[in-house]
Amino acid sequence: MKLKSDFIVREVNGETVLVPIGDTGFSGMVRGNKTLGAILQALKADVTEDEIVSSLLERFDAPEEKVRADVQKALSALRKIGALRD
Amino acid sequence: MEGVYRFADLNVAIRTRCRRLHDMCRDYRASGLPDIVISLTGADVEREREKAAVTARREGRFAAEYPYDYLETLAAYRALAEELPGHDGFLIHGSAVAADGEGYVFIAPSGTGKSTHARLWLEMLGSRAVMINDDKPLLRFMPSGPRVYGTPWDGKEHLSANMSAPLKAVCVLTRAKENTIRPLSPHEALAYLLRQIYRPAGKEAAEQTLTLIDRLDAGLYLLGCNMEPEAARVAYEGMKG
Repeated sequence: MKLKSDFIVREVNGETVLVPIGDTGFSGMVRGNKTLGAILQALKADVTEDEIVSSLLERFDAPEEKVRADVQKALSALRKIGALRD
Repeated sequence: MEGVYRFADLNVAIRTRCRRLHDMCRDYRASGLPDIVISLTGADVEREREKAAVTARREGRFAAEYPYDYLETLAAYRALAEELPGHDGFLIHGSAVAADGEGYVFIAPSGTGKSTHARLWLEMLGSRAVMINDDKPLLRFMPSGPRVYGTPWDGKEHLSANMSAPLKAVCVLTRAKENTIRPLSPHEALAYLLRQIYRPAGKEAAEQTLTLIDRLDAGLYLLGCNMEPEAARVAYEGMKG
Protein backbone atom coordinates (compact mmCIF):
# COMPACT_ATOMS: atom_id res chain seq x y z
CA MET A 1 0.00 0.00 0.00
CA LYS A 2 1.01 3.59 -0.53
CA LEU A 3 -0.06 7.11 0.39
CA LYS A 4 -2.12 8.73 -2.37
CA SER A 5 -0.40 11.65 -4.03
CA ASP A 6 -3.24 14.08 -3.37
CA PHE A 7 -2.50 14.14 0.35
CA ILE A 8 0.25 16.15 2.00
CA VAL A 9 2.11 15.71 5.24
CA ARG A 10 3.57 18.55 7.29
CA GLU A 11 4.61 19.30 10.85
CA VAL A 12 2.37 21.95 12.36
CA ASN A 13 2.70 23.10 15.97
CA GLY A 14 5.08 20.19 16.59
CA GLU A 15 2.66 17.50 15.45
CA THR A 16 2.40 15.52 12.22
CA VAL A 17 -0.60 16.48 10.11
CA LEU A 18 -1.94 14.83 6.95
CA VAL A 19 -4.58 16.63 4.88
CA PRO A 20 -6.01 16.24 1.38
CA ILE A 21 -5.04 18.95 -1.10
CA GLY A 22 -7.72 20.92 -2.91
CA ASP A 23 -11.00 22.26 -1.60
CA THR A 24 -13.49 19.69 -2.86
CA GLY A 25 -15.10 19.00 0.49
CA PHE A 26 -13.21 18.38 3.69
CA SER A 27 -12.63 14.64 3.71
CA GLY A 28 -10.85 14.79 7.03
CA MET A 29 -7.34 14.79 8.35
CA VAL A 30 -5.09 12.59 10.42
CA ARG A 31 -2.83 14.07 13.06
CA GLY A 32 -0.43 12.58 15.57
CA ASN A 33 3.06 12.33 16.98
CA LYS A 34 6.49 11.41 15.58
CA THR A 35 5.43 7.76 15.20
CA LEU A 36 2.69 8.81 12.78
CA GLY A 37 5.30 10.94 11.01
CA ALA A 38 7.52 7.88 10.56
CA ILE A 39 4.60 5.74 9.35
CA LEU A 40 3.66 8.37 6.75
CA GLN A 41 7.30 8.64 5.70
CA ALA A 42 7.38 4.88 5.12
CA LEU A 43 4.13 5.06 3.12
CA LYS A 44 5.72 7.33 0.51
CA ALA A 45 6.95 4.07 -1.01
CA ASP A 46 4.79 1.02 -1.77
CA VAL A 47 5.11 -1.00 1.47
CA THR A 48 3.40 -3.74 3.47
CA GLU A 49 2.31 -3.45 7.09
CA ASP A 50 5.21 -5.72 8.11
CA GLU A 51 7.71 -3.50 6.31
CA ILE A 52 6.39 -0.41 8.09
CA VAL A 53 6.62 -2.19 11.45
CA SER A 54 10.22 -3.26 10.87
CA SER A 55 11.26 0.20 9.67
CA LEU A 56 9.79 1.67 12.86
CA LEU A 57 11.49 -0.94 15.06
CA GLU A 58 14.82 0.18 13.57
CA ARG A 59 14.13 3.77 14.58
CA PHE A 60 12.25 3.51 17.86
CA ASP A 61 13.06 1.52 20.97
CA ALA A 62 9.64 -0.03 21.62
CA PRO A 63 8.14 -3.53 21.85
CA GLU A 64 6.93 -4.96 18.54
CA GLU A 65 3.30 -5.45 19.71
CA LYS A 66 3.09 -1.76 20.66
CA VAL A 67 4.55 -0.64 17.32
CA ARG A 68 2.26 -2.97 15.35
CA ALA A 69 -0.78 -1.68 17.24
CA ASP A 70 0.25 1.93 16.43
CA VAL A 71 0.75 1.06 12.76
CA GLN A 72 -2.61 -0.69 12.52
CA LYS A 73 -4.35 2.22 14.18
CA ALA A 74 -2.73 4.72 11.81
CA LEU A 75 -3.50 2.60 8.73
CA SER A 76 -7.12 2.29 9.74
CA ALA A 77 -7.39 6.08 10.22
CA LEU A 78 -5.77 6.68 6.83
CA ARG A 79 -8.07 4.16 5.11
CA LYS A 80 -11.09 5.82 6.64
CA ILE A 81 -10.35 9.11 4.88
CA GLY A 82 -9.31 7.42 1.65
CA ALA A 83 -5.63 8.34 1.88
CA LEU A 84 -4.26 4.89 1.01
CA ARG A 85 -3.90 3.13 -2.31
CA ASP A 86 -3.83 -0.64 -1.82
CA MET B 1 -10.16 42.84 -20.73
CA GLU B 2 -7.11 43.35 -18.66
CA GLY B 3 -6.39 45.27 -15.47
CA VAL B 4 -3.83 45.50 -12.69
CA TYR B 5 -5.09 45.60 -9.10
CA ARG B 6 -3.45 45.72 -5.71
CA PHE B 7 -4.58 42.97 -3.34
CA ALA B 8 -2.74 42.13 -0.11
CA ASP B 9 0.15 44.45 -1.06
CA LEU B 10 0.67 42.57 -4.34
CA ASN B 11 0.12 43.79 -7.89
CA VAL B 12 -2.18 41.32 -9.61
CA ALA B 13 -2.75 41.48 -13.36
CA ILE B 14 -6.04 39.84 -14.36
CA ARG B 15 -7.18 39.07 -17.91
CA THR B 16 -10.85 38.13 -18.40
CA ARG B 17 -13.42 37.83 -21.16
CA CYS B 18 -16.04 39.96 -19.35
CA ARG B 19 -16.12 43.36 -17.78
CA ARG B 20 -17.78 42.46 -14.48
CA LEU B 21 -14.59 41.63 -12.56
CA HIS B 22 -12.98 44.90 -13.58
CA ASP B 23 -15.99 46.89 -12.36
CA MET B 24 -15.99 44.95 -9.11
CA CYS B 25 -12.27 45.64 -8.53
CA ARG B 26 -12.24 49.27 -9.58
CA ASP B 27 -11.33 50.61 -6.11
CA TYR B 28 -8.23 48.40 -6.15
CA ARG B 29 -6.80 49.60 -9.48
CA ALA B 30 -3.02 49.89 -9.53
CA SER B 31 -0.16 50.35 -11.93
CA GLY B 32 3.28 48.84 -12.19
CA LEU B 33 4.74 45.44 -12.81
CA PRO B 34 2.55 42.55 -11.65
CA ASP B 35 3.65 40.15 -8.90
CA ILE B 36 0.96 37.70 -10.02
CA VAL B 37 -0.56 37.23 -13.48
CA ILE B 38 -3.98 35.62 -13.82
CA SER B 39 -5.25 34.83 -17.30
CA LEU B 40 -8.66 33.18 -17.19
CA THR B 41 -9.89 30.70 -19.77
CA GLY B 42 -13.29 29.21 -20.50
CA ALA B 43 -12.12 26.02 -18.76
CA ASP B 44 -11.51 27.95 -15.49
CA VAL B 45 -15.04 29.30 -15.65
CA GLU B 46 -16.54 25.88 -16.44
CA ARG B 47 -14.75 24.46 -13.40
CA GLU B 48 -16.41 27.14 -11.21
CA ARG B 49 -19.79 26.19 -12.67
CA GLU B 50 -19.21 22.55 -11.72
CA LYS B 51 -17.94 23.45 -8.24
CA ALA B 52 -20.95 25.67 -7.59
CA ALA B 53 -23.26 22.81 -8.57
CA VAL B 54 -21.40 20.32 -6.34
CA THR B 55 -21.52 22.73 -3.38
CA ALA B 56 -25.23 23.36 -3.88
CA ARG B 57 -25.93 19.61 -3.96
CA ARG B 58 -23.83 19.05 -0.84
CA GLU B 59 -25.71 21.76 1.02
CA GLY B 60 -29.04 20.51 -0.26
CA ARG B 61 -29.73 23.72 -2.17
CA PHE B 62 -31.13 24.26 -5.63
CA ALA B 63 -28.21 24.71 -8.04
CA ALA B 64 -28.71 28.13 -9.59
CA GLU B 65 -27.51 28.80 -13.12
CA TYR B 66 -24.85 31.49 -12.68
CA PRO B 67 -23.88 33.86 -15.47
CA TYR B 68 -20.46 33.53 -17.09
CA ASP B 69 -19.20 36.91 -15.87
CA TYR B 70 -20.05 36.10 -12.24
CA LEU B 71 -18.33 32.71 -12.44
CA GLU B 72 -15.34 34.51 -13.92
CA THR B 73 -15.02 36.61 -10.74
CA LEU B 74 -15.01 33.39 -8.67
CA ALA B 75 -12.41 31.82 -10.94
CA ALA B 76 -10.18 34.88 -10.55
CA TYR B 77 -10.28 34.71 -6.76
CA ARG B 78 -9.56 30.99 -6.82
CA ALA B 79 -6.58 31.60 -9.10
CA LEU B 80 -5.33 34.28 -6.70
CA ALA B 81 -5.80 31.94 -3.71
CA GLU B 82 -3.71 29.32 -5.54
CA GLU B 83 -0.87 31.84 -6.03
CA LEU B 84 -0.93 33.48 -2.60
CA PRO B 85 0.97 30.83 -0.60
CA GLY B 86 3.95 31.54 -2.88
CA HIS B 87 3.81 35.08 -1.47
CA ASP B 88 3.37 33.96 2.15
CA GLY B 89 -0.38 34.40 2.22
CA PHE B 90 -3.68 32.57 2.13
CA LEU B 91 -7.41 33.12 1.81
CA ILE B 92 -9.47 32.55 4.93
CA HIS B 93 -13.23 32.10 4.98
CA GLY B 94 -14.48 34.39 7.71
CA SER B 95 -15.55 37.85 8.75
CA ALA B 96 -12.70 40.32 9.36
CA VAL B 97 -13.18 43.47 11.41
CA ALA B 98 -10.65 46.18 12.28
CA ALA B 99 -11.18 47.56 15.78
CA ASP B 100 -8.95 50.41 16.93
CA GLY B 101 -6.68 49.56 13.99
CA GLU B 102 -6.25 45.89 14.89
CA GLY B 103 -7.61 42.99 12.84
CA TYR B 104 -9.94 40.32 14.22
CA VAL B 105 -11.11 37.40 12.06
CA PHE B 106 -14.20 35.40 13.03
CA ILE B 107 -14.39 31.90 11.59
CA ALA B 108 -17.15 29.27 11.73
CA PRO B 109 -19.08 27.06 9.35
CA SER B 110 -21.49 28.97 7.08
CA GLY B 111 -24.71 29.89 8.83
CA THR B 112 -23.26 30.10 12.37
CA GLY B 113 -23.55 33.88 12.50
CA LYS B 114 -20.08 35.33 11.80
CA SER B 115 -21.47 38.27 9.87
CA THR B 116 -24.14 38.95 12.46
CA HIS B 117 -21.53 38.93 15.22
CA ALA B 118 -19.19 41.19 13.22
CA ARG B 119 -22.07 43.62 12.78
CA LEU B 120 -22.54 43.70 16.57
CA TRP B 121 -18.91 44.87 16.82
CA LEU B 122 -19.55 47.66 14.32
CA GLU B 123 -22.64 48.77 16.26
CA MET B 124 -20.80 48.68 19.59
CA LEU B 125 -17.61 50.41 18.47
CA GLY B 126 -19.07 52.89 15.99
CA SER B 127 -16.38 54.82 14.15
CA ARG B 128 -13.63 52.83 15.91
CA ALA B 129 -14.48 49.75 13.85
CA VAL B 130 -14.52 48.93 10.12
CA MET B 131 -15.53 45.79 8.26
CA ILE B 132 -12.38 44.72 6.38
CA ASN B 133 -14.13 41.88 4.54
CA ASP B 134 -17.28 40.03 5.56
CA ASP B 135 -16.60 36.75 3.77
CA LYS B 136 -13.17 35.95 2.33
CA PRO B 137 -10.37 38.23 3.54
CA LEU B 138 -6.75 37.55 2.65
CA LEU B 139 -4.00 37.06 5.17
CA ARG B 140 -0.32 37.70 4.51
CA PHE B 141 2.75 37.14 6.62
CA MET B 142 4.70 40.36 6.38
CA PRO B 143 8.07 41.12 8.06
CA SER B 144 6.12 43.00 10.75
CA GLY B 145 3.76 40.02 11.33
CA PRO B 146 0.51 38.70 9.86
CA ARG B 147 -1.85 41.24 8.26
CA VAL B 148 -5.46 40.83 7.20
CA TYR B 149 -6.58 42.49 3.94
CA GLY B 150 -9.86 43.56 2.44
CA THR B 151 -10.82 42.59 -1.14
CA PRO B 152 -13.99 43.10 -3.19
CA TRP B 153 -14.91 39.39 -2.89
CA ASP B 154 -16.92 40.26 0.15
CA GLY B 155 -20.00 38.08 0.62
CA LYS B 156 -23.72 38.46 0.14
CA GLU B 157 -23.97 41.92 1.72
CA HIS B 158 -20.90 43.27 -0.08
CA LEU B 159 -19.20 44.59 3.01
CA SER B 160 -15.51 45.30 2.60
CA ALA B 161 -12.94 48.08 2.54
CA ASN B 162 -9.70 48.52 0.64
CA MET B 163 -7.59 48.42 3.78
CA SER B 164 -5.52 46.15 5.98
CA ALA B 165 -4.72 45.73 9.67
CA PRO B 166 -2.21 43.77 11.71
CA LEU B 167 -3.88 40.52 12.75
CA LYS B 168 -4.64 40.59 16.45
CA ALA B 169 -6.72 37.43 16.82
CA VAL B 170 -8.62 34.65 15.08
CA CYS B 171 -11.85 33.79 16.89
CA VAL B 172 -13.80 30.58 16.35
CA LEU B 173 -17.48 31.29 16.75
CA THR B 174 -20.03 28.83 18.15
CA ARG B 175 -23.65 29.43 19.09
CA ALA B 176 -24.40 29.33 22.82
CA LYS B 177 -27.03 30.57 25.27
CA GLU B 178 -24.52 32.50 27.37
CA ASN B 179 -21.60 34.55 26.06
CA THR B 180 -18.20 33.13 27.00
CA ILE B 181 -14.71 33.33 25.54
CA ARG B 182 -11.53 31.37 26.19
CA PRO B 183 -8.12 31.05 24.52
CA LEU B 184 -7.60 28.09 22.17
CA SER B 185 -4.29 26.25 22.10
CA PRO B 186 -2.67 26.06 18.65
CA HIS B 187 -3.40 22.32 18.80
CA GLU B 188 -7.14 22.91 19.34
CA ALA B 189 -7.28 25.74 16.80
CA LEU B 190 -5.72 23.72 13.96
CA ALA B 191 -8.83 21.69 13.10
CA TYR B 192 -10.93 24.87 12.86
CA LEU B 193 -8.29 26.73 10.84
CA LEU B 194 -7.86 23.90 8.34
CA ARG B 195 -11.57 23.92 7.61
CA GLN B 196 -11.74 27.65 6.89
CA ILE B 197 -8.41 28.35 5.19
CA TYR B 198 -8.33 27.79 1.43
CA ARG B 199 -6.48 24.58 0.64
CA PRO B 200 -4.86 24.97 -2.77
CA ALA B 201 -5.10 22.24 -5.40
CA GLY B 202 -1.40 22.71 -6.13
CA LYS B 203 0.76 20.52 -3.93
CA GLU B 204 3.50 23.06 -3.22
CA ALA B 205 0.99 25.78 -2.42
CA ALA B 206 -0.92 23.39 -0.14
CA GLU B 207 2.28 22.50 1.73
CA GLN B 208 3.24 26.15 2.04
CA THR B 209 -0.23 26.89 3.48
CA LEU B 210 0.41 24.42 6.30
CA THR B 211 3.84 25.94 6.90
CA LEU B 212 2.19 29.36 7.21
CA ILE B 213 -0.42 28.03 9.66
CA ASP B 214 2.49 26.70 11.72
CA ARG B 215 3.92 30.24 11.76
CA LEU B 216 0.61 31.93 12.61
CA ASP B 217 1.39 34.24 15.49
CA ALA B 218 -1.93 35.71 16.67
CA GLY B 219 -4.39 35.26 19.49
CA LEU B 220 -6.62 32.19 19.08
CA TYR B 221 -9.98 32.09 20.83
CA LEU B 222 -13.18 30.10 21.11
CA LEU B 223 -16.26 32.25 21.52
CA GLY B 224 -19.59 30.82 22.60
CA CYS B 225 -22.14 33.51 21.78
CA ASN B 226 -25.74 34.44 21.26
CA MET B 227 -26.83 37.23 18.92
CA GLU B 228 -27.35 39.88 21.61
CA PRO B 229 -25.18 43.03 21.75
CA GLU B 230 -23.52 41.67 24.91
CA ALA B 231 -21.80 39.01 22.73
CA ALA B 232 -19.66 41.69 21.08
CA ARG B 233 -18.67 43.17 24.44
CA VAL B 234 -17.62 39.77 25.84
CA ALA B 235 -15.64 38.96 22.68
CA TYR B 236 -13.95 42.34 22.47
CA GLU B 237 -13.05 42.48 26.17
CA GLY B 238 -11.75 38.92 26.00
CA MET B 239 -9.45 39.54 23.02
CA LYS B 240 -8.24 43.12 23.07
CA GLY B 241 -5.72 42.33 25.85
